[in-house]
Amino acid sequence: MTPTHIALSVLLAPLASAALITLLLGRRGGLASAVSVVAALFIACGALWLAFGGDRFTASWEWLRFGSFAVALGIKLDDLAALMLSIVGVVGLCVHVFSLGYMRDDAARARYFGGLSVFMFSMIGIVLADNLFMMFIFWELVGFSSYFLINHWRELASASDAAKKAFIVNRVGDFGFLLGIILCYWANGTVSLSELGAGHVVYSRLIPLLLFCGAIGKSAQLPLQVWLPDAMEGPTPVSALIHAATMVAAGIYMLCRIDVLMVPQARTVIAWVGTLTALYAAMCAITQRDIKKVLAYSTISQLGYMVAAFGLGSVGAAMFHLTTHAFFKALLFLGSGSVILGCHHEQDIFRMGGLRSRMPVTFWTFTIAVAAIIGMPGLAGFFSKDAILVLAFENNRAVFSVLAFTAILTAFYMIRLWKIVFLGEPAGEPARHAHEGGISLTAPLVLLAALSAVGGYWRAYPRAFDGVFSQIPEAGGATHAIVLATSLVVLVAGAGTALAYYATDGGDTLERRSPGAFRFLGALRSSFDTGYDFYVAEVQQRAALVLNFIDVVGLSGIVVRGLAGATEMFGFGIRALHTGRLSTYVYWFLGGVVVLWAFAAGVL
Amino acid sequence: MEQIAFIFLSALTLACALGVVLAKNAVNGAMCLLLCLAGIAGLFVQLHAYLLAFILVLVYAGAVVALFLFIIMLLDMQGGQAWRFRPAQALAGFAAAALLVTGLDLIAIRGRLGGGPPVGQGAGSSLKLYAYQLFTAYLLPVQVMGFLLLVAMLGIILISRRISEADPSK
Amino acid sequence: MTPSLDAYVMLSSALFAIGFLGVLVRRNTLVIFMCLELMLVAATLALVAFSRFNGTEDGDVFVFFILTVAAAEVAVGLAIIVALFRLRQTIQVDRLNSMRH
Repeated sequence: MTPTHIALSVLLAPLASAALITLLLGRRGGLASAVSVVAALFIACGALWLAFGGDRFTASWEWLRFGSFAVALGIKLDDLAALMLSIVGVVGLCVHVFSLGYMRDDAARARYFGGLSVFMFSMIGIVLADNLFMMFIFWELVGFSSYFLINHWRELASASDAAKKAFIVNRVGDFGFLLGIILCYWANGTVSLSELGAGHVVYSRLIPLLLFCGAIGKSAQLPLQVWLPDAMEGPTPVSALIHAATMVAAGIYMLCRIDVLMVPQARTVIAWVGTLTALYAAMCAITQRDIKKVLAYSTISQLGYMVAAFGLGSVGAAMFHLTTHAFFKALLFLGSGSVILGCHHEQDIFRMGGLRSRMPVTFWTFTIAVAAIIGMPGLAGFFSKDAILVLAFENNRAVFSVLAFTAILTAFYMIRLWKIVFLGEPAGEPARHAHEGGISLTAPLVLLAALSAVGGYWRAYPRAFDGVFSQIPEAGGATHAIVLATSLVVLVAGAGTALAYYATDGGDTLERRSPGAFRFLGALRSSFDTGYDFYVAEVQQRAALVLNFIDVVGLSGIVVRGLAGATEMFGFGIRALHTGRLSTYVYWFLGGVVVLWAFAAGVL
Repeated sequence: MEQIAFIFLSALTLACALGVVLAKNAVNGAMCLLLCLAGIAGLFVQLHAYLLAFILVLVYAGAVVALFLFIIMLLDMQGGQAWRFRPAQALAGFAAAALLVTGLDLIAIRGRLGGGPPVGQGAGSSLKLYAYQLFTAYLLPVQVMGFLLLVAMLGIILISRRISEADPSK
Repeated sequence: MTPSLDAYVMLSSALFAIGFLGVLVRRNTLVIFMCLELMLVAATLALVAFSRFNGTEDGDVFVFFILTVAAAEVAVGLAIIVALFRLRQTIQVDRLNSMRH
């Protein structure tokens, strides 16, 4: 089996699984889940084989041809793709195994696992795509999978609304993405990533920014970040896989792929978008009650970090943070899933508490994840965040200061979450009776915890990912010391404040002690939604009504019914000729004779 | 002399023709038709077509108009409906007729008829000549006419018979 | 002095027009039929006039046939009218309009 074959089978295995589930196993939840998990296992093994096997290649097949324009489908497996593929494979496998336990009592299990398989197919398609058109196709497919999975519990109106919102907001971003692809083709004559990387590229400010629009939508950056918190309506494993580790990271991956098209002005814009997103989301996360929403805002914030890292010029730093983030964010989500299940589908953190003794495995793995995200030295997140801060310090001091402040907030809200959920005393009945889930829930947690712990030692990764990790900035003496000191100060300040400030009983301390600040942060959060609501209700609705009027009156009325009416009138006219009276027909004879005379006289 | 005869006969013909068109009673109309045919016969005589004049009176005036009268008596006896004078219709009809006359005359007198005296004797004046033509040059049409009359007779018998059969139900 | 050919032709066309007027204006089917006969007779007059003035006999012979056809046509037509009367109890043309629309 050549590497091409392995890559193709990795791509097509989840498709086969999805097809099998849809066609045959719609009612058999157990069998469907087994098929899907086997596919995920195959993907994980295949991905690691390809990554560590060392083969790097590109292969392409022409699919459509319109004159001189050709759309090709192909696979480009370089170090970047191998790294992303491994992440998707490993995290995907963990989520699949976790879902076995989490969705055991769900009636529509088969549909859920079918959706997971479709998602894996789409995501691997994005990872392996070798040209922008193919990537766009799978981009849209991933959007569809997200819609499908968020909408898993269809009977809830909130889930349907959230799914629609996710899809529509993504679509807005994809519009810019498509314009960027078309412009790129027009300017460069090709959309193949290999050709763009090799040949002479036309540099423009517009193309990379338009392509970045796709990342804004998919990776939930400002101003299109509104869909991600609502997407938490889906089952928790879905949130872990799609909205934390892989799909939202696809935007970052795409940016790294088109690194060759970047110009400095575009990079500056991208860096600031990422930085502001990180800050905004961190501020929103402080006041959330729902455990999943806290993690959702945290995801947006960390994605902002990655986007900022890319904007500052380093693909390596962005991908490094993406890798470590995948591990600890998936762990955080799965851990929260375990907590939610243990507390009998309770998601409000102020009804939890004291779970430290009742759910030990979850507690320890969650703690490792929290430590990783806030940058505890030695764990994965510390190294990746450090790399980004070094990059910012060397290139753009303003961004550095904002990112450092955001790190304080990150530590602040994560410790708040950790303390209120796990420490103190249980705040409600479900929390009192909480217990650990089965092995299918705990095993992935442990695996991801291990990866979160050691994932930061990138030099320990096999040579396989050198193409990416070699670009991680290394800091020299003074810079290194300053940044190290900054991160330690940030960590202690944020974590310490949160530990001291928040009491574990009686609701949100911030709300109690400074309601003004609480309200301000709440308004900040809902400002975007309010703005969009206004736009849709006032501007867009009016435009839609005008178009509707034109359609009903103009097209249906005048054109369609008008034509029918004209034909009817014509028919009426002809019908009136049949009078049934003899004299009429005689007049017609006369008319005919006159015509014949005219012929004879040479007039006609 | 001939002119006077012609004027008298043509006046008679036209007056009776108008009488046919304008008469309220259908029987009166039939009588006018009869007189009209008499005038035409006179004109034929003036054109030296003696045989034709004779045949006209015999066949047309004698048989056809008689038949007309029979049928009028048969059908119209429920008191003929008065012919209401409708100006619009009459005007339209008059216009149409005028158009017809104009057209016919334009075509007919398109500069080719300059008058000129009658040439020769006219075949209708001699029975022998007439019969000769009928049975040599025009033999086929004569046979076809015979056939036509046969078919007409059959048709009439058929139509009449069907009605009499359906009569009791209606 | 024989009247000129023009006179005969104009007389014939006037007769024809009067017959035509009758067909258009009258509502009684029988009267319409009589006007039809008038038109035929007008045509025969024209034919005879032409044959006399040209010296040929074709016009005369043709009149013979016209007369025959006219007779046959009248017979058949009246038979149809009688049949129609039996069916519809009317011979007014404006009542016989079942071909309307």
